[in-house]
Amino acid sequence: MNEDDGPGTPTRSAVVVGAGLAGLTAATGLAAHGFAVTVLEARERVGGRTHGIAAAPGVRIDAGAAYLGDRHTELNALAAELCLKTTPTTMLGASRFALSDADDRPATSDGRFPPLDAVALGDLFERLAELTDAVRPDAPWLTPDAERLDALTAAEWAERHLTHPDARLFFPLFLGEMCAADPADVSVLHLAFYLRSGGGLRYLNAFAGGAQQDRIAGGAHQLCERLAAPLGTAVRLGEPVRAVHQDDRSVTVRTDRGAYRAEVAVLALPPLLADAIEYRPALPQPRSGEHTARGCAVKVHLVHPAPLWRDHGLSGWSVNARGPLLSTVDDSPEDGIGVLTGFVTGAEAHRFGALTPERQRAEAVEQARRLFPMLPEPLGVHITDWLADPYSRGCYAALLGPGDWTRIGPALTAPHRRVHWAGTETSTAFFGLMEGAVRSGRRVVAEVLARG
Amino acid sequence: MSTDLTTTPATAEALAAVFRRVLEREDVTADSDFFDLGGDSLVATRVLSAVARAHGVELAFEDFLLAPTPAGLARRIAAAA
Repeated sequence: MNEDDGPGTPTRSAVVVGAGLAGLTAATGLAAHGFAVTVLEARERVGGRTHGIAAAPGVRIDAGAAYLGDRHTELNALAAELCLKTTPTTMLGASRFALSDADDRPATSDGRFPPLDAVALGDLFERLAELTDAVRPDAPWLTPDAERLDALTAAEWAERHLTHPDARLFFPLFLGEMCAADPADVSVLHLAFYLRSGGGLRYLNAFAGGAQQDRIAGGAHQLCERLAAPLGTAVRLGEPVRAVHQDDRSVTVRTDRGAYRAEVAVLALPPLLADAIEYRPALPQPRSGEHTARGCAVKVHLVHPAPLWRDHGLSGWSVNARGPLLSTVDDSPEDGIGVLTGFVTGAEAHRFGALTPERQRAEAVEQARRLFPMLPEPLGVHITDWLADPYSRGCYAALLGPGDWTRIGPALTAPHRRVHWAGTETSTAFFGLMEGAVRSGRRVVAEVLARG
Repeated sequence: MSTDLTTTPATAEALAAVFRRVLEREDVTADSDFFDLGGDSLVATRVLSAVARAHGVELAFEDFLLAPTPAGLARRIAAAA
């Protein structure tokens, strides 16, 4: 669509596919360098895996990505540029743990440490740290022993190496919290890479001083809304992309409504969605592998008039061996309603996602009642199933299974002629996080500019 | 508490080395507080695992909270051994 303006004044042009954080960062960067940009978004909203839903009049909460920390430098800088403030994630008071079969009586203890065998958990984390330290963070497929680590699932690894029942109990819960994965879904290489990419075990796990330290005040979706606003009608909603055709002169991106021609295309999509598009010429190899799976996360929000659990000395944090809510966290906005967020992850997300909405709600409310019996019935219950979302296919990020990294890794960011790749799954730094998405968008801008 | 005066300083130095490894920082002395150095409960369990492997002593998480320095933990290990 973007033809030259006239003789002597060629306008460079780009079509960006996906109006999430990666795509909008790329589009904004290219527009700033004089590109005529069109952004094609399948949904009727921008934001991708960030999504603000109304929890009360004028109050939106994060149904998708929410957290950031100090090391997320590009994201913090972007928030500042967009005049968005961050708010600390509050975690003061005691935690609740339902980790034994006596599920009806959760244990209460100070801090976040679960009432499990500390040495057994330490053995688990020492083993994970050993794997994490050994991985090549910039290129996991070049890790010494990559083939072997990529052939084994995290479930098989746990079966071999974890002997203590407490370590076996905690490992899947930890993996669910960290990367919304069931141990059977990811290779050991992906597990080690993911932990390293996110800043290591301690950083990725921590709230204060870690990756969950802060949230965007008012919701992370505002990052995308504010990036999209200056682009105006260049952002076209409700246009799922079907095909990307290119020749020596241009690339044409086809949707059900039209065809958009440009000098380059940026595909800012999770790998499973990128592979659902038809390419001419065909991709030299798919973006996902045989075992690449959707990140298994369903987010449940229980809305209260205020964070009432704090009055009872509780932080809102809980970890639970049985679902649906495998962990809960206080995601209340500052000075307002109380929001308890429940994470349904891993295999439990598949089970829960298959239930009727009524059943989902009943299970979530019943479990919250057992965990926090002092709380009244919630004012609202919101359930966001990212697994079933056709335009994300999972959250937090794609799960790379056996064989995937060694096959996909080497071409992770390699352009397919005029097609460049963005999205958090193309960032080896902070893979799967908002920070990774922003970094991928910045990288792709530099790539396109370097085409000359 | 019976403290073995010949082994405790050596144990404390070995524990300081463990602190350095798991906290990924060099500025650890026998009296450094683990939590002041940026440690948290997750990393603390790695120290307890290392203690169990090196000294055959399984300390509880509460032991760690009560004595979160290399010297303090060395005394706990001597008392438990």
